[in-house]
Amino acid sequence: MPNKLIDIVGVSKSFGDNLVLDDLNLYIRENEFLTLLGPSGCGKTTLLRILGGFETPDEGKIIFEGKDITSLAPNKRQLNTVFQKYALFTHMNIQDNIAFGLKIKGKPQSYINDKIRYALKLVNLEGYGDRYPDSLSGGQQQRIAIARAIVNEPKVLLLDEPLGALDLKLRQDMQYELIRLKNELGITFIYVTHDQEEALTMSDTIVVMNQGYIQQIGTPEDIYNEPENAFVADFIGDSNIFDAIMVRDKLVRIVGVDFPCVDTGFGTMKPVDAVIRPEDIDLVAPEEGLLKGIVTHIIFKGVHYEMEVTANNYEWLVHSTDMFPVGTEVGIKVDPFDIQIMKKPESEDEEAVSIEE
Amino acid sequence: MKKKLQNIYLSFIIIFLYAPIATLMILSLNTSRTRARWGGITGKWYLSLFQDEAIMGALYTTLIIALLSALIATVLGTAAAVGIQGMKLRFRTVMMGITNIPMLNADIVTGISMMLLFVAFRITMGFSTILIAHITFNIPYVILSVLPKLKQTNRYTYEAALDLGASPFYAFFKVIIPDIMPGIFSGFLLAFTMSLDDFVITHFTKGPGIDTLSTKIYSEVRKGIRPEIYALSTLMFLTVLFLLVIVNTEPKEDKTQRAKRLERESRARKTSRFLLTRVMPAILSVVIIAGGFYYGSQNIISGDNQVVVYNWGEYLDPEVLELFEEETGISVIYEEFETNEIMYPKVQSGAIAYDVVCPSDYMIQRMIDNDLLAEVNWENVPNIKNIGKTYLEQSRQFDPENQYSVPYCWGTVGILYNKTMVDEPIDSWSVLWDETYRDSILMQNSVRDAFGVTLKYLGYSLNSTDLDELTEARNLLLEQKPLVQAYVVDQVRDKMIGNEAAIGVIYSGEAIYTQWENPNLEYVIPKEGSNVWIDSWVIPKNARHKENAEAFINFLCRPDIALMNFEYITYSTPNEAARALIEDPDIRDSKIAFPSAEMLKDCETYRFLGDENDAVYNELWREVKSK
Repeated sequence: MPNKLIDIVGVSKSFGDNLVLDDLNLYIRENEFLTLLGPSGCGKTTLLRILGGFETPDEGKIIFEGKDITSLAPNKRQLNTVFQKYALFTHMNIQDNIAFGLKIKGKPQSYINDKIRYALKLVNLEGYGDRYPDSLSGGQQQRIAIARAIVNEPKVLLLDEPLGALDLKLRQDMQYELIRLKNELGITFIYVTHDQEEALTMSDTIVVMNQGYIQQIGTPEDIYNEPENAFVADFIGDSNIFDAIMVRDKLVRIVGVDFPCVDTGFGTMKPVDAVIRPEDIDLVAPEEGLLKGIVTHIIFKGVHYEMEVTANNYEWLVHSTDMFPVGTEVGIKVDPFDIQIMKKPESEDEEAVSIEE
Repeated sequence: MKKKLQNIYLSFIIIFLYAPIATLMILSLNTSRTRARWGGITGKWYLSLFQDEAIMGALYTTLIIALLSALIATVLGTAAAVGIQGMKLRFRTVMMGITNIPMLNADIVTGISMMLLFVAFRITMGFSTILIAHITFNIPYVILSVLPKLKQTNRYTYEAALDLGASPFYAFFKVIIPDIMPGIFSGFLLAFTMSLDDFVITHFTKGPGIDTLSTKIYSEVRKGIRPEIYALSTLMFLTVLFLLVIVNTEPKEDKTQRAKRLERESRARKTSRFLLTRVMPAILSVVIIAGGFYYGSQNIISGDNQVVVYNWGEYLDPEVLELFEEETGISVIYEEFETNEIMYPKVQSGAIAYDVVCPSDYMIQRMIDNDLLAEVNWENVPNIKNIGKTYLEQSRQFDPENQYSVPYCWGTVGILYNKTMVDEPIDSWSVLWDETYRDSILMQNSVRDAFGVTLKYLGYSLNSTDLDELTEARNLLLEQKPLVQAYVVDQVRDKMIGNEAAIGVIYSGEAIYTQWENPNLEYVIPKEGSNVWIDSWVIPKNARHKENAEAFINFLCRPDIALMNFEYITYSTPNEAARALIEDPDIRDSKIAFPSAEMLKDCETYRFLGDENDAVYNELWREVKSK
């Protein structure tokens, strides 16, 4: 397991009365692609800006390769940032943009020229050196912004929603591009986004944040399949989340019906949250299901149909490749390992974590 | 149809806005000195403009002040804008308000408060005070044009520069400045234009011996504006127009177009960048350094053997000053004023220690009353013997013991009439009430002159403070009003030359000139008597170089010098010895320039009547004008 590169220790930050980060602890390993994921206002961008040196935490420290860099000026850090709005220098051409950091470091011109050529090749924009930023498309500008950052050979590249302004197709292309870059360059990426799909596609590690707290840290698979609480479950992908009662080990009561599950250790007759992903619900003939319901809504989504089924006065969201017309009576069945049981939040802090929508 | 109406309306607006300037431009090309006659096209006023040292000096001062104040204000204003932009919203709003106030404030308030501040801190008025004042009022304009640009800049570009290793300083100059350059540039041009335009603030903050174009032009108002000034104003208008066009044609292209243009111009940009970063600063520093030396050398000359003169505009032959400096080694610092009322507070405030001033009769009385004047040491002014006894006698009306003043110019108020437009020679004020001349009468638009004429006609003193007499005069003026073509000041001269009116009330000094231009005109002092005015040299109490002042007065009383001034000003001289030297007998014995003692028998000088009586006069005059 690679070494810790950055250690974030007990970082708190507030703006006025607004507490943005609260006693946050996190470490980042070398050559990791780590994504900070969360809704806007969750503190992810603030955390990134603290790493970049544009904000100073009220409490806590940032350790980089064993050295405390908490109050080090941005221009002294071995990190480079790719900003949300690209932040290219519009009065300079592409070459000068890319050469900016190298010139400050006083590199010889031949070295700079090599680097420019290399960087433009890396982001597939050879021959754009004499152009000006505003004559480039959004995706091209974004790639220049990345090129400008990586020629400085930073240990860590910080990316603040770099694809947020791009359209879907371009965004997907850029996602692959970024993964390729990370693999070629072997540097650590810290990536901020509110787009869960983006996070799942690219990351080695995802840090889900809400209201200044870390909700869960894990691989994309962990986060998707084993959400630790209702917020994560809701935020990552679509979910059916129920107030449920753990009857005993391996049996949970959802909307009055007992479902067999695989979870243990929640006690007996304890309130819990139960999550069932819509694609994990099987619609079968009425009599074959654990409970019956009526299809009330259906939309064709391409790969699957998205349906709403009313059963025991609850709306169930179901994804299925089979089509059931509105009004059809169906049976609902869920495999035991597809039910995810989560503890109810107890303290106030944890309460804050619960879903806001 | 609708389109047509729109166009007509638009052309009316354009005519309305630009007709005055067009008139000015046309007049600047007029061969004839007077606006009343068109003498064909000429460029001679432009030529003589550039040969006029005083105007060129003022132009240089104006430009150097505009340039320096705009530059300094641009630096300070940009820094302020950056600071304001970085503030929290509430402070920013407050700061914006504070910086906007000087811009909205009336110029006169700014000017006077500046003057008071300089006086309070005992800063000598001069080049530096004008510069400071201009910088002050320019800063808000710079802030105002830089701030919006600053708001537009992506704040992340600055952070990106830091992120790439730039120090905050480097990032600011490499990234922020180029981004807001258009704003800085238009702020600079705006400041430059504002500084060129300013009159009021300059007027209050300038010292003796220094003039900008606007104050120079204004000081000439009393003697009538010379055609050179039309030429100059035309040039100034065109300059300002040019600058404003540059400011306003800031490229409206969108981002992509701009980027494309930048690419095209890449090579051209290298040259222009070279011009901008190397050549321009070099030129600027040369100009500024040269300017510094220019003013430095002026200050060296002025050492301490000097005399500070405060005189009416165009009221002394510039050659006389040169002769004086040559002969005595005393350097003259010369400043001009436009009216007694403008001169008075400047002397009274003591902001500038003038050595010798040339006010009119009633103002001298007021200055004596307020203990502002020093007695003249007659031993130092032996040439007083050249001044006619009559005039010293007349001076006793305001300077009872002849202790304070030396008469310099004088004249009368009378009637100018066009011989071809009246039936018989005029000798009485009564023609001003004659129905025959309805709409052919021009009255002076000044309270004392209008009442003075009427009071004299009624047989009273023109310094009357008797309310009954004044009311009677008011009623008479009201009765006259339908007959009057216009109440005017300078235009009496031009209108009479142009045969636009038959009869006008005018000063004798103007009358001589009008006769040259139109031989049909005749001037008369009515038999009822009139106003005789005298402008005299006096020495303020706070004068620093009293002996030099007396030497100056004595020099002006020398017959040859007094003659030079008479020929330059054309107002009557009280200097009998000088009059004897006039070669042309027509002028020497002119009844207009030198009326006999008999004719002056019933003439009076104005006296300062006190603030209360002034108010009564003004109120009655307002009633006349408003009904």
